[in-house]
Amino acid sequence: MSDSLQFVLQQSVEDVLEKMFFIRSLDDALEEPGLPEGDVKAHLTFDGEPSGFLTLRVTREAARSISADFLGAEEGDLNEQQVGEVVCELANMICGSVLSRFESAVTFRLAQPELGEGDEHAEPASGTAGLRALHCVEIGGGNLTVAIHTEPLALRHGAAGAGAA
Amino acid sequence: MRAFVRRVIDVSGFDASFCLEASNGREALEVLAKEWVDAILTDINMPMMDGEELLRSLAADDLLRSVPTIVISTDATESRMERLLSLGARGYVTKPFAPEDLRAELERTLGEVHV
Repeated sequence: MSDSLQFVLQQSVEDVLEKMFFIRSLDDALEEPGLPEGDVKAHLTFDGEPSGFLTLRVTREAARSISADFLGAEEGDLNEQQVGEVVCELANMICGSVLSRFESAVTFRLAQPELGEGDEHAEPASGTAGLRALHCVEIGGGNLTVAIHTEPLALRHGAAGAGAA
Repeated sequence: MRAFVRRVIDVSGFDASFCLEASNGREALEVLAKEWVDAILTDINMPMMDGEELLRSLAADDLLRSVPTIVISTDATESRMERLLSLGARGYVTKPFAPEDLRAELERTLGEVHV
């Protein structure tokens, strides 16, 4: 776990929730909770220096609550597609915010977030540890967990074969 | 995001009912071929045609290049901002943004046009 990436991830989650969703997380960072079945998950990859992926999981109740805040609608009026789009947008903003803070001089490219893909506990494909950070917060009606993994920069600079055997 | 931006425009005193929407750059060009607008707000990360390609298309059009375009992006890196401004963007708002940030950028950009 990278302390600097962890700090940046926490800052980014709080900043996005406060500015775009008008939500202050109810507590300090939680220990990783056991999320119930039926949570909403968004996954996206990013390319740059570093490359990697981000996975966001949020309990269904919390997903509906933050979607209503974001869209200025009543929870009961939202359909699943709207909730999914908001969760994807949330993942997109958090990822962009982390990368802009973490490596502010290098342009990155974000893929389109996808629902229900990825596993925040997966190791990078290389098997070589990059940087990892995980942040869990309690927000209206449930928990939000964001995990980000980066691949080692060395893999981007021609050293990928080292230790492959 | 479009719904959120529309809300911000609405509460900022602009008439959001005059907003036209498109889900990517290609759709935006189709809309702009039929309708004249005072300003364009665009994301960068879009399917089909992204924001950079849209800016290039706008810059290549004799009429549309005069419409002020504000980029709304998660990417706050200086290199990206410089590139987009060099492509013709008049304003840049980084996500996440407070509603007043977008309002200020919209008013600044429209003010420049009408001065």
